[in-house]
Amino acid sequence: MPGHEVLVEAMDLHKQFRSFYAVRGVSFHCYAGEVFGLLGPNGAGKTTTIRMLTTVLRPTAGTARVAGHDVVREPAEVRRAIGVLPENAGVYGRLTPRDLIRYFGRLYGVPADALDRRLRDISEALDLGPHLDRLTDTFSKGMKQKVNIARALIHNPRVVFLDEPTSGLDVLSARSVREFVLGFKQEGRCVILSTHIMEEAERLCDRVAIIADGRVRAEGRLADLKARTGMGLEEIFVQLVERAVV
Amino acid sequence: MIRGAWTRWKSRWGSMRTLHDERGRLVWSVMLEALRDRRARRGRVHERPAAAPPAPGPQETGRWIAAVYAKEMLEAVRDRRTLVVMIVLPAVFMPLATLGIPYLAQRQQHRLQSVTPNVAVVGEAPGLIHTAYTTGLITPVRARDPVDALRRRRVLAVLRIPPRFDAILARDGQAHVGLLYDTSDPESVAARGRVVELISRYSQQIVARRLAARHLNPRDLLPVVLDERNVATERQLSGLLLASLLPFFIAMWAVVGGMSVAVDLAAGEKERGTLESLLVTPPSREAIVIGKFLSVITASMGAVIVVLITMMISLRWGYPYLLHTTKKLDVSLPLGTAVVMLGVALLFSALVSAIQLAISIFARSPREAHQYITPLYFVTVLPALAVQFISEWQRSGWAYLVPALNAFFAFRELLLGTVNWGHLVLAAVSSAFYAALALEVAIALTSRESVIFRT
Repeated sequence: MPGHEVLVEAMDLHKQFRSFYAVRGVSFHCYAGEVFGLLGPNGAGKTTTIRMLTTVLRPTAGTARVAGHDVVREPAEVRRAIGVLPENAGVYGRLTPRDLIRYFGRLYGVPADALDRRLRDISEALDLGPHLDRLTDTFSKGMKQKVNIARALIHNPRVVFLDEPTSGLDVLSARSVREFVLGFKQEGRCVILSTHIMEEAERLCDRVAIIADGRVRAEGRLADLKARTGMGLEEIFVQLVERAVV
Repeated sequence: MIRGAWTRWKSRWGSMRTLHDERGRLVWSVMLEALRDRRARRGRVHERPAAAPPAPGPQETGRWIAAVYAKEMLEAVRDRRTLVVMIVLPAVFMPLATLGIPYLAQRQQHRLQSVTPNVAVVGEAPGLIHTAYTTGLITPVRARDPVDALRRRRVLAVLRIPPRFDAILARDGQAHVGLLYDTSDPESVAARGRVVELISRYSQQIVARRLAARHLNPRDLLPVVLDERNVATERQLSGLLLASLLPFFIAMWAVVGGMSVAVDLAAGEKERGTLESLLVTPPSREAIVIGKFLSVITASMGAVIVVLITMMISLRWGYPYLLHTTKKLDVSLPLGTAVVMLGVALLFSALVSAIQLAISIFARSPREAHQYITPLYFVTVLPALAVQFISEWQRSGWAYLVPALNAFFAFRELLLGTVNWGHLVLAAVSSAFYAALALEVAIALTSRESVIFRT
């Protein structure tokens, strides 16, 4: 997307856990105002890549810049600029969504008045309003996920990381999460979304990187990938992944 | 909030009624309106992303610590387990332990003293039997098989009188009587005591008779008489009592009070899958760990303070009420001593809390954290029990450098009124050092990938 600011730039990221290479050379970049999909089977290295970009894991080699800051040298600045929904994220059961979202607002340094306004807006948009003062212990998985999305967005981040945001959700919850993600594009947020659901990628992502065995096997606009190969996304995916295994 | 929800619900209900009444075109217009409303609401969320906020300073670190602490305390207060362990258990358990056990012991003692035991007498000794009845020390009984009767607890001791007992005594001789009893039975031991007393009194009677026959004064047998007087004050006696109880209970509740909070706020975060969400927020690892540490120490000290208060109350007012004691106890702590004691307890609690937190951060799950913390409990409570038996170490300075032990020695000095300020400073500084060290380990663990993602 020429003319748009690059907000996430992964440069030859490697990650080794003892003798196991989880990621071996992942590079890509994403612009403001786009949803970038990380596609891959389980264990391909998607979550490890996202954890390196969100500063919780330190790359063994290579580096990345997020919102203009180096993830290794300036992790604190990176953390201020990002909103993260980790894989299988839970909630604090003895807090209400209001307590929980306010807590994260304070951690992100959102001023008190702005925090209340933003809490109101986000909870209305996610239909959390009537449930704001119930303990999250009693919530369904879909509701918990909405609470997590709300707390990841409370500081109005420029870059949003969503690691399998719809996994384990029922059809309706997954659909409302997807709708919400689509809304991010309009105001110039950069969204990195990892998924192994092809349909989700096709609906949400502008561009994708297909990762298998810790490497990027293909990267580009969805339409270009399809035109180049003459195949649907699922076939492309299966072919690339099978080649990686062999 | 509630009013907002009610208004929305009312308007929705209103539009549904319209929908039902007129059908057709109206259905669509209502649905479109709802959709537009939804988009408008969503539009507000999707305001332009904010520019990066200013860099962190000490003030911001303070705000992070406060935010973490406030949230952890809110969660702790909403957890019934914490409240039970921190307040109810010490409030109920302490009076039971400090008063209930001595009360039961005294009750048994009292019962043993008030009951006249059956003692089988084998052989003839009319004089002795007569003294037994007049003093009421034992009830002499006859038994066909006295040893069997003792084994079956029908009698509590067996007294064997030698043949010609009275004749030996009449000739100014010495007679040996045998006594069978059972040390495994407290009642039999008590019966033995009464038989010893009986024999002693009977002997005295005979001695008095013999001396009278020789025109001698019984005083001549006791040229020197000892008059004893105890100079310990009530305060000192109560100090000794407190010194044997308080260090143990402070140690116990400093560990137990903070345990469930410590386990929940680190290992619990791993289990619930909230840890990663927390670690991708701006606060430094130090701020997060210190905020959590302060919550653990609050719970730990909360339990210690509840224990101290309930224990002082139960000793002061319950002790004289429940226990018939000839000694009056002055159970009170001077304000200065109480403040210094709380200070030492705080440093001890800081050490224990920091260790518990580090363990909880390291553990894969709350279950594992509990497994590691249980030995810690014994390691800290055992020295608290042992400290009264190794009082000779109390005089050497190095004992005040040993973690945990130093606090217990300091408590003893404070309670016994033998304060050495050099020792106290040594104990305080070394305790603070060990606590800081444990906290440093906790922070280092939070920065280790292999620990954070250890599942």
